[in-house]
Amino acid sequence: MTPPPMTLLKGTLDVLILKTLGWGPSHGYAISRWIQQCTGEELQVEEGALYPALRRLEEKGLLDSAWKTSATGREAKVYTLTAAGRRQLQTELSAWSRYVSAMTRALEARPTGAIA
Amino acid sequence: MSRRPPDPLPLSNQKPVDEDVRLELAQHIELRTEELVARGWSPEEARAEAVRAFGDLAAVTDECREITVRARRSRRRDEWFGALIHDVRFALRILRRSPAFTCGAVLTLALGIGANTAIFSVVNGVLLRPLPYDHPEELVSVYEATERGGYADVTEPNFRDWRAQAHSFDGMAAYGSDVGTLLGADIPSRVRTAAVSEDFFRVMRVQPALGRLPAPDEHRTGAPPVAVVSYRFWRDRLGGTAELANRRLRTTFDFQVVGVLPPGFGFPDQSDLWFPVELYGRNESRTAHNFSVVARLRPGLGPQDGKRELDALTAPMREQYLPEFDAVGASVAPLQDRTTGSLKEPLYLLLGASSLLLIAACTNLASSMLVRGSARAHELAIRAAIGAGRGRLVRQVFTESLLISSLGCAAGLAVAVVVRHGLLLLAPAGMVPLEGAPFDVRVLGFSLLLTLLTAVLFGLLPAMRMSSVRPSQAMREGTRHSGSRRSRRLWSTLVAVEVALAVVLLCGSGLLLRSFAAITSIDPGFHSEGVITTLLDLPDASYPDVLQAVAFHDRLLAELQGAPGVLAVGITNRLPLEGDSPSGAIQVEGKPLLAIGPVTGFAIYRTASAGYFEAMGMRLVTGRSFTDRDRADAAPVVIVTQSLADREWPGEDPLGRQLRVMGMDDAILRPYATVVGVVADIPHGAITGTRREAYWYPYSQMPARTRSMNLVVRTAGDPAAAAPMLAEAVHRLDPQLPLEWHTMEERLSSSIADRRFTMVVLASFALVALLLAGLGIYGVVSYTVAQRGREIGIRIALGAEPSRVQRLVQGGAMAVIGIGIVAGGAGAVAGTRLMRTLLYGVEPGDPVSFALAVGSLVAVGFLASWVPARRSAGIDPVRAIQAE
Repeated sequence: MTPPPMTLLKGTLDVLILKTLGWGPSHGYAISRWIQQCTGEELQVEEGALYPALRRLEEKGLLDSAWKTSATGREAKVYTLTAAGRRQLQTELSAWSRYVSAMTRALEARPTGAIA
Repeated sequence: MSRRPPDPLPLSNQKPVDEDVRLELAQHIELRTEELVARGWSPEEARAEAVRAFGDLAAVTDECREITVRARRSRRRDEWFGALIHDVRFALRILRRSPAFTCGAVLTLALGIGANTAIFSVVNGVLLRPLPYDHPEELVSVYEATERGGYADVTEPNFRDWRAQAHSFDGMAAYGSDVGTLLGADIPSRVRTAAVSEDFFRVMRVQPALGRLPAPDEHRTGAPPVAVVSYRFWRDRLGGTAELANRRLRTTFDFQVVGVLPPGFGFPDQSDLWFPVELYGRNESRTAHNFSVVARLRPGLGPQDGKRELDALTAPMREQYLPEFDAVGASVAPLQDRTTGSLKEPLYLLLGASSLLLIAACTNLASSMLVRGSARAHELAIRAAIGAGRGRLVRQVFTESLLISSLGCAAGLAVAVVVRHGLLLLAPAGMVPLEGAPFDVRVLGFSLLLTLLTAVLFGLLPAMRMSSVRPSQAMREGTRHSGSRRSRRLWSTLVAVEVALAVVLLCGSGLLLRSFAAITSIDPGFHSEGVITTLLDLPDASYPDVLQAVAFHDRLLAELQGAPGVLAVGITNRLPLEGDSPSGAIQVEGKPLLAIGPVTGFAIYRTASAGYFEAMGMRLVTGRSFTDRDRADAAPVVIVTQSLADREWPGEDPLGRQLRVMGMDDAILRPYATVVGVVADIPHGAITGTRREAYWYPYSQMPARTRSMNLVVRTAGDPAAAAPMLAEAVHRLDPQLPLEWHTMEERLSSSIADRRFTMVVLASFALVALLLAGLGIYGVVSYTVAQRGREIGIRIALGAEPSRVQRLVQGGAMAVIGIGIVAGGAGAVAGTRLMRTLLYGVEPGDPVSFALAVGSLVAVGFLASWVPARRSAGIDPVRAIQAE
């Protein structure tokens, strides 16, 4: 029933990044921390996998990046969601909820005559 | 170079890719380590854990780097395209804002490129296109070099000896071409026929599209006549049927069509029928030059190799056959020369002229772009000040130029189509290539190259100059004064160049115009007005006995004499202007014989009827013309030209003298004929050619070639209108005879058609160049006045008289024009020397033509500078000074 973990993981990672940046610009480590905290031990992600994903999303024009100096004086590469990224997030979210509700309906349905 | 502000920082603060990736990943591990340390891990353990949790650092680094390199590259490309689109849109907006400039520029280019492309495609079609035969570079024409230093066709026995002995050639073939009357196809008509020797098709490497070629045993005297036909003839006249078995046609003889040649093959003269030359009998004379010869050189050999060998072969032949031999060697020339011949010079002249026109067009555009550029200096300065780089500005201006030249090229192609159509309509028949002059890839490439060159030429120069303006300087008030000295010098140069080019073209066309005027004022020796002619080509088949032909002509002349509207009527074997015939041998009584044979001299042989000289309007100098009494049974008489009389009987009365024609191969001596009249000389070939000595026999006293005669009718009204009535009269006697009416006016006009063509085209070029020069002068002077408005205002305010100011402004312009005229005059002196062979009655340095050219440029230049200069006199000093 469940798709292979890596496929799910890959697509999911993108959605999670978009979702994270939906709250505001952030740098890679912060994104990585947030994803880990939210998903706990359920989704085991190699932390390094985040960075190629970020750069791919940027290549697709869903993210923008720039090196900025933080209040503490540390330089960090900050990612921002672009307008296209925001639209993509909306699409992914509604697709995800349709997927989940369809799955939920199917898994919780009682058998009917049609199957017997 | 002035210092300029640095380009503004890019919007996103980018780092080099390697650093970007390394820093970001290192920071992740660092932050993770710090976090673990904060949770109580030892630094070493924390770092190890951070590295472990991260995964394969090297692989991630590589992957990130790869993605980013790719992303940045594609982004740069997008930005470049974006900038390009921006540039193009911006340029379009700028051009739309000044429609007068844009239209002027595009039109100028269209004329320059259009004229060039059209001329080039015609030149390409006529001169450059290789002949449509297999390995055309191997094909050569072979002639005999004559004792008099000229060239002649080859005699039959010489041809056979050369063909048998020469090793330089992979085949040598003889051909002749003629026009005959064809019966047996759909309608009786005139066809171009060729008589060819056995190797002809092998030399030309032609295979029949249908049927077969004449077999070797059909290349024999007395063999049943066969012919192959052109594809066009087969399609149009034989109905294009595959069945040839019953196609029997008749010209000089009944013949069977055995084959059809492939489409497009018409060598030698757009021929339709090819007969074995042997059908016409043999001629063993080594002084009867009857064969045109085409040969195929062996690969790797040149015409000179062929000539050397034939020269060597000719020497012993000459020893053996003298005095019945008049060749001293051979002449071997590429076949292509035969087909282009005299067209080369006018076409190259026009090609050169159209190149000058294009240069003039480009110069004009350069100066107007420069004027515009200066007018926009302020705008560009602002753009430079807010951070547009020099390269970016150059590119923007270059885009504008490129856009204009693309539009110009498109418009130019349209103009080219129209101009080419006009050229082909106007061009004399010989100048139009067989397949027209299609715009092929080469022509297209040529015009594209021109556009690009043009863009570089007039686009980059102003752009470079514009972008070197210091923004601070350009934006400061009064900048228009500074830096303009250099611009003015450049404009002056450009205007002078335009003027010079116009002078060269005007001088050239002036010379052609004067030549043409000289030619049209030549007294042709006949009166063409009201005269109409047609060839009466009586087929041998219908008139087996030549006396039947004589009887036909007698009856026709009797019938037309006194017909309504007919003032005079006659016939002759050859009309004036109708191609130069070789001179034939004559014997004048009482003169010593020449060494070469029973001959005292040479003159052109003609026959005519009573009434011919009157109908043609030829001037009788002394004596009488032919009458109806000069018949076969009367005493033989002859009429000579003035030049023949002067040569044979200088200072004496030619009337009553005796001469006779000598067929070199005739065994029978004809009786002497008495000179009864002398007529003014007429041109036998080109009207500009030398008037060679000629004489006429009454046609009935010399009936041998009476089957092919020209009817000449002088009418009271419009000669063309008389044609139907005349045709009816002819067809009452022979309903099958094909007729083609031409007035003598038409013949006269078509004989100078190529000169008229060259003249009209060159003159149009010159007029366009003159117009361009005028526009260029106007544009630059207008701008100068606008630019110096403040200075002029101050001068007027300080008391300068407006008329003096006007003279000052115009004087400067006229000085530049003067420099251009001098330069152009020098160029014209050199350039027009190249067109010497195209001139008649004027010398290349003709002062009248030069004065005309200079005069028209001074006039146009004066007018073009006067209008804006006048404006300078009307400048209101107060407003001019305030405006700055």
